[in-house]
Amino acid sequence: MRTISFVEAMNEALREEMRRDPSVYVLGLGLHLSTKGPSITGGLLEEFGERRVRSIPISEPAVAGSCVGAALAGMRPVASFSLTDFVFCALDEILCKAGKWRYTHGAEGGMCVPVVFLQTMGGYVRAASEHSQSPLALYAHAPGLKIAAPTTPYDAKGLLKTAIRDDNPVVFFQHKLLGGSKGPVPEEEYCVPFGVAKVVREGSDVTVVATSYMVKLALEAAGSLEERGIGVEVIDPLTLEPLDIDRILESVRKTGRLVVVDEDTERCGVGAEIAMQVVERAFSSLKAPPERVGNPNLPVPYSPVLEAAVLPSKEKIEAAILRTLGG
Amino acid sequence: MELSREKLLLIYRNMVRSRAFEELVIELMPQWKIPASWMSGIGQEGVVGALSTLLEGDYVTYTHRGAYYFICRGSDPGRILAELYGKRTGYCRGKGGRHLADTAHKIFGKSGTIGGHAPLAVGMATAVQIRAEDAVVMSFFGDGASNRGTTHESMNLSAVWKLPVVWVCENNGWAGTTPVSLTTAVADIAKLAGSYSMPGRSVDGNDVLAVYEATCQAVARAREGNGPSLVELKTYRIREFAEAGPFPTGYRDPEEIEAWRRRDPIERFRGELLGRGVLTEGMVEEIAREAAAEMQSAREFAEESEFPAPEDAFTDLYA
Repeated sequence: MRTISFVEAMNEALREEMRRDPSVYVLGLGLHLSTKGPSITGGLLEEFGERRVRSIPISEPAVAGSCVGAALAGMRPVASFSLTDFVFCALDEILCKAGKWRYTHGAEGGMCVPVVFLQTMGGYVRAASEHSQSPLALYAHAPGLKIAAPTTPYDAKGLLKTAIRDDNPVVFFQHKLLGGSKGPVPEEEYCVPFGVAKVVREGSDVTVVATSYMVKLALEAAGSLEERGIGVEVIDPLTLEPLDIDRILESVRKTGRLVVVDEDTERCGVGAEIAMQVVERAFSSLKAPPERVGNPNLPVPYSPVLEAAVLPSKEKIEAAILRTLGG
Repeated sequence: MELSREKLLLIYRNMVRSRAFEELVIELMPQWKIPASWMSGIGQEGVVGALSTLLEGDYVTYTHRGAYYFICRGSDPGRILAELYGKRTGYCRGKGGRHLADTAHKIFGKSGTIGGHAPLAVGMATAVQIRAEDAVVMSFFGDGASNRGTTHESMNLSAVWKLPVVWVCENNGWAGTTPVSLTTAVADIAKLAGSYSMPGRSVDGNDVLAVYEATCQAVARAREGNGPSLVELKTYRIREFAEAGPFPTGYRDPEEIEAWRRRDPIERFRGELLGRGVLTEGMVEEIAREAAAEMQSAREFAEESEFPAPEDAFTDLYA
C-alpha cells in the first residue's frame, strides 16, 4: 500500500468529497493562493474555483456562524481554522449555533447542521499557553457536536470523509505533530465510521485509552514495558462523541486496569469522563484505581523544560501504567 | 413609488395581524398559559414594510422582538402560539419557545445571543451565491446588536464577498434599559455602512411606505448581485423590555413614550390609506375583526394541542 502524510490524506478526503457533492465547500485563511507543497487545501482552488474555496478574514465568529447559516440553507461547509486556540473566539457559534440549533428548533422541517470545523491542536512546539491547547473535553461537554481526533493518515482521511457526509456538526482535530506523519492509505475510496474505537495494540495487563498524538506516546510506552513483560493494550477512540465505550469496557474487563492519556487539562476532562464511565459499568472488573495522564491544569509554558513538565510524555505514561500494577 | 391597492392592503393587513397576535400574547401573559416571557414589537410594525419587499424564496433572520417576521412571511399563528405554550404542535415541538423557526418560509430560527444571527445570514447568502440563485437574505438586528463584533464582522464579510444580504437595523432607541446614546458612537447606525463600502440609509421606521421604499432599493441591489446594503429604521419600543420577568421599569421618560405612541405606524398608515380612499371605515373594522378571529382560532389551536411527552426531550439532538 502507498504511504502518504496525514495532511495529504486530509487533502484527498476534501477533494473526493468536493467532487462527489457540489454542496461541499471549504473556507480558510490564505486559500486564494495556490499552494506549493502538501497542505490540507492544496490544489482545491485550481479545481473548484473561488466560490467553493473561500479565503477568509480573521473573523472566526463570522466565519463559523456563516458555516451554520450555509448548512441550514443546504450546504456542507468545511471551515479550516488554524489553531484551535483561536476558535475560542467562535464558541457561541460552535457550541450554541452549530451544536444546539437543530434541537432548539425541534428539528423543524428536517433541519440539520452539517458543518466540519477543522482545527489544529496540541503542544510540544514551544508556542506557549495560547497556541498549545487541546480542548477536546470542551467540545465533548457540549450537546449536539461530534468530535473526531484521528492519529493516523488512514483514519484522518476516512474520518474526514465521514465527517463531511454526516448531517451533524463535527469538530475535527489535527495534532500539530501529526500533520507530516506518514502512513499507509489505500488508493481506493473508503470511510472510517464514527464511534468505533480502534485497538492499535493488543495486551492483557493494562488498557490505555489515548487520544490523538497521545496514541503515539502510549505506543512508545507500551513498547518499553513489553521488554519488562507487561502487556499494554492501546485503544484509540478516534471519536469522543460518539464514544465507543463498549470497546473500552471490553478491554478493561480483560485487563482490569485503565489509564487514560489526554493532552488537555485533566480537570473535568476526557480522562475523568472515560474513567467514570468505566467505574460505573465495570467497577467489579477493576483491579486498581484508574489513572489519568494529562496536563495538571496549567497553562502550557514556553521553555522546553517547563513545557515537558506540564505535558504528557512516554515516561509519565509508563509511570501511570506501573502504578496500576502496584509498581 | 406607486404600490398597487392590493399591495397596500396586504401591508396594512399584515401590520394589523402582527399587532393582533402580540396583543393576544400580552393578554395571555398574566394567565400564565405562556410559561415564559415575550419581547413585544408593538409600535415597530413599520418593519412590515421591509418584509413586504421580499419574494417567496428569500431568507429572513430576525431579532428577539416582535412577531411580524412570521406573520408577514405566511407562518401559521396557531403553530407560533402553540410553541409559546410549549405544545408539541408548535414550530419547534415545544423545544424552542420564542426561538421560533419556520423553514418552509426560510426563517431558520433565532439566536439566543443578540447579534448571533448575523453570521448565519452571511452563510445563507453564501449558499445562495455558490448555487447562483437569485434569492436575498434580509437580516434584522437592533441597535443593541449593532455593538456586537459578530454584526461588524458579518457586514464586512458580506461586503467583501458581495453577498446578497440586506441588513435592516430596527433602531428602537433602547437596548434593555440602556439608551442608544450611551452605547453607540454614531447617531445614525446607517453610518456603519460606510466602513463596509455599502450603501446605508436611515428612514423613519414608523412610516411603513418609507421603509418599503428604502428596503426595496436594497433588495434590488442584492438581487442583481451588487452586494449588501444597510437600512436603519428609526423606531421605538413602546412596551417594556419584556412582558414578564424581573426587568426594571420606570427608567424612561413617559413623555418620550407618549410622543412615540402618537407616531404609531399602524394608525399613521391607516390615516393615509383612508385619505387616499384605499381603505374605508368599514374595511378597517372588517380587517380588525378578521385579525382578531384569526388569532382566536390560533389560541384555540394552541390550547387544544397536547404537550410533548417527557421522553421527547431525548429526541432530535442529532440528525
